[in-house]
Amino acid sequence: MTATTEAPATTVAEPSTAAVPAISLTGVTKTFQSSRESFTAVGGLDLDIESGEFFSLLGPSGCGKTTTMRMIAGFEEPTTGVVRLDGTDVTDVAPNHRDVNMVFQSYALFPHLSVADNVAFGLKRKRVGKAETDRRVAEMLELVELGGQAKRKPSQLSGGQRQRVALARALVNQPRALLLDEPLAALDLKLRQAMQMELKRIQRDVGITFVYVTHDQGEALTMSDRIAVMNEGYVEQLGTPAEIYEHPATRFVAEFIGTSNLLTGTAAATTSDGTDVRLDCGQHVLVAERLSEGTQVDITVRPEKIQLSTEPPDASLSRVRGTVADTVYLGSSTHYTVRLDDDTEIVVFQQNDRDLSAADAVAGRGSDVWLSWRLSHSYLLPS
Amino acid sequence: MRRKLTPYLLALPGWAWLAMFFVVPIAGMVSLSLTSGNVITGFYQTFNVGNYLDAITLYSEQLVRSLLYGLGATLICIVIGYPAAYWIAFHGGKHKSTYLLLILLPFFVSFVLRTISWKFTLSDNGVVLGTLKSIGLLPADFAVLNTAPAVVLGLAYNFLPFMVLPIYAVLERMDHRVVEAAHDLYASKLQAFLRVVLPISLPGVFAGGLMTFIPTTADYVNASVLGGPGNTMIGSIVQTQYLVNNDYPIAAAITFVLMGVLLIGIFSYARALGTERVMEVQAK
Amino acid sequence: MHKNPLLRGMTQARYGRRDMLKFSAMAAAGYGLAACGVSGQKQKAVAEEDFWQGKKETGSLTFANWPLYIDPKRTQLKQFTKATGISVDYREDVQDIAAFAGKLQPQLANGDYTGYDLIVLTNGLELARFLALGYLAPLDHEQMPNFTKNLGQSYRDNSYDPGNKHTAPYASGITGIAYNPKYVDREITSIADLWDPKFKGKVGMMSDPQEIANFGLLLNGVEPAESTKKDWQAAADKLMKQRDDGIVRSYYAQDFVQPLTNGDVWLTMAWSGDIYQQNAEAGTDLKFVVPEEGATIWTDLMCIPTTSKAAVDSLKLIDFLYRPEIAAGLTEYITYIPPVPKAQDILRAQAQQASGAERKDLEQLVESPLVFPTDEDYSRLHNYVSIEPGKENSFTSVFHAVTQA
Repeated sequence: MTATTEAPATTVAEPSTAAVPAISLTGVTKTFQSSRESFTAVGGLDLDIESGEFFSLLGPSGCGKTTTMRMIAGFEEPTTGVVRLDGTDVTDVAPNHRDVNMVFQSYALFPHLSVADNVAFGLKRKRVGKAETDRRVAEMLELVELGGQAKRKPSQLSGGQRQRVALARALVNQPRALLLDEPLAALDLKLRQAMQMELKRIQRDVGITFVYVTHDQGEALTMSDRIAVMNEGYVEQLGTPAEIYEHPATRFVAEFIGTSNLLTGTAAATTSDGTDVRLDCGQHVLVAERLSEGTQVDITVRPEKIQLSTEPPDASLSRVRGTVADTVYLGSSTHYTVRLDDDTEIVVFQQNDRDLSAADAVAGRGSDVWLSWRLSHSYLLPS
Repeated sequence: MRRKLTPYLLALPGWAWLAMFFVVPIAGMVSLSLTSGNVITGFYQTFNVGNYLDAITLYSEQLVRSLLYGLGATLICIVIGYPAAYWIAFHGGKHKSTYLLLILLPFFVSFVLRTISWKFTLSDNGVVLGTLKSIGLLPADFAVLNTAPAVVLGLAYNFLPFMVLPIYAVLERMDHRVVEAAHDLYASKLQAFLRVVLPISLPGVFAGGLMTFIPTTADYVNASVLGGPGNTMIGSIVQTQYLVNNDYPIAAAITFVLMGVLLIGIFSYARALGTERVMEVQAK
Repeated sequence: MHKNPLLRGMTQARYGRRDMLKFSAMAAAGYGLAACGVSGQKQKAVAEEDFWQGKKETGSLTFANWPLYIDPKRTQLKQFTKATGISVDYREDVQDIAAFAGKLQPQLANGDYTGYDLIVLTNGLELARFLALGYLAPLDHEQMPNFTKNLGQSYRDNSYDPGNKHTAPYASGITGIAYNPKYVDREITSIADLWDPKFKGKVGMMSDPQEIANFGLLLNGVEPAESTKKDWQAAADKLMKQRDDGIVRSYYAQDFVQPLTNGDVWLTMAWSGDIYQQNAEAGTDLKFVVPEEGATIWTDLMCIPTTSKAAVDSLKLIDFLYRPEIAAGLTEYITYIPPVPKAQDILRAQAQQASGAERKDLEQLVESPLVFPTDEDYSRLHNYVSIEPGKENSFTSVFHAVTQA
């Protein structure tokens, strides 16, 4: 259960007392060669995905997440490294002999077959008996709430319905793992949110390992048990949604996941509580970590962790002064942009749980405010 | 009211065109096919159904032969054209249009010239047969020119693009991920082709079949240039009746008999392939 | 000087155009007939005086002829323009007489201009039909001094257009047998040789009913001009046997030269001039014989459609081509029989003045019985079977049963 950014050869999966991982990638790289150039899509990957977990590969386009998934499915052969399913090396096994199924981004439904025949396709290839096939198809269509659409053609279905057919078509085979390649990308926002819940429910019901590829951090945070954040062919951070959100391991993760405020400064002096850091703007903040004097640091704080006030906050908190540059009222919350002396901007989300007029009067544009947060809510990023 | 009329008005030139170049000539030809007389006395409308009986009884042999040649040429076109279209659509990469152009290249030359050039190629002592004979692979008196296979091969050669292009269009338009989806769902390469690619591409094969079968059946140039005694196709008969004998009624009657046979053939073909399904996939 | 093998040897292009024309002619004829109805085909006969009444020279004319029927520089036409000031738009649009006539037929039936002021037709079914339908203008012989003076005697008493009222011969040719001595190791002398099982699959015949009928009839010893329906059937039976025995390789419309050169056929029915030209240009040694049973002579005739817009100009051109020195120049290129016997004397005189290869060529031409047949030769040459217009089918169907099985 480990993922690193170091060279693959030096890292070996930690011995685990748990069962054999459902999917395991060891030292996997993938380089695409064309006559003129070569492009490294996956630079080195060690990844164990546990049985029954909802695992997301998250990252911007071109980060290697889809290539990784296609190597698990067998559509791409790794340039180096080993792919194991349930501990069995399947690196050279063709996709039709791998016990994983995929939900394609475009769904890739068979346009000439009915919904039921689409779903039955895999079972027929595996020569499951007709009665058994019919039963499982019906069951699966019920599960995805398409019981009444069995005889329709894909062209007669809505986008959301097609998506569920694609899901049913893969799941009916009861694979070791289900691979989903941005399956919700083509749906509109409302449907997408509904399907997120739906997918999570189905995954709980069937108990199959889901490997979910997405560039949407919200989707990944909502649904996943664990997330691997990928960038330029490497895993930047692997952890639960909370770990990744609360403790971004790298600057990339901090910036890619949610909104982060980044403060740069130099360690000025250690105190009993931690370190006093002199920010580039001249103000001082406290951090919990002990740093030797003169160390350059990047401090990151999530906007919703910051309190905004007109009165000076408690001195045990980290605190800075600034001027409100902009406010955006969003109903349940208000987003403030506060400018420090050196033009560093800090974003603050305040829940509108107080009297609105009072808050507004306090923090109107141009007013001077204090920002404060607990020491435990700021993190130092490796530079 | 006016708004409702607009689409019909827009279609007017199309209808006028159809009326002028299809309905009027066809109606004229139907009427002609029922006349009696000759070119000197003129042709008079007598509703002479005997023209059709003559057309069928006198030329059934050439008619059946034309259908068989057309069918043979169409099958050869499928066997050669499908893999070509498949390869270009799936493995053509950046050079798809180049490969398509290569398929079409011979067709920048006139139809008749192409056929004539085959005559040189297939000559008894020509490049192909001469060479094979000189190395002893064929007996000295072996001939292709002026035989039925020469005609069928010539037809297949001349109409190949009409098969390749529609199949290519369907394969190209197809979401290639469905092939991966089929592999993912445990289909072997052959199964993926037979169960997914082939059925999806059937409308292309259907269209290509029509576009090959109809003109090959009605063709007469290939038979007259590459054929020999006993290879006459129905198109040559029509031509002779029209231009040499000036027997317009019988020529028109043969034409309609051929048209009727082709239409019956096409409808049963469409039914066999399942037009409903075919149209559905095409509409997508 | 006229030997340009490249230009004259482009036989492929020639077949190509012929076939394409057939097709477009069919289409045109189909539409014309279908759209306009077909009851009134016949045009009223016009008296000679009435036709020429008020007709004036226009200064230009359009002439439709066979390909390769004048040298590529159009020497004789240039001479005509120089002499008369009338320009000639010369079109090689006659690739197949049946197709050409078929294309013109609906237009002439409607009394429309065909686009041509002067055309060429062979003495055969199409000509007979055009004459019967009154599509061809009567020629004003008084305006044709060269024609009346120089037309050869044998052309004056013809059966296809007695008195040459509507037609003026352009050139004649012989349909005989050609063979390739590379493959045929004996001398071919008779039509019966075309039935020799030794040449199984190597014999070429012509697809035109009139052409093939004559050979069948002559083989049976029947004079084509006097043949009856019974004779036709007997001839057709012979021809069918020849076909069913596998002796015939192909029935050719006109493209027999290349297969004969290539060896696809070893002996074939052939037109004299085509063989003469092929030998002259490709250096082949193809033989042409007038078989002992006899052969066919045909004549390509210049005619003025009644709807011609430049009838006077056309008449002048016809007459111009009957000047002996002009006819001689034409013959030197096309190597078919000129209707002007004096052309032979002029060519002979030219040969005596020339030297070297040119002299040899000219001498060969002048002495060739294919270009200048002797009276004895003429006695062995026969016309096509003549059929009453409108009754062609009773004749053609008998022989189409042979060639279009």
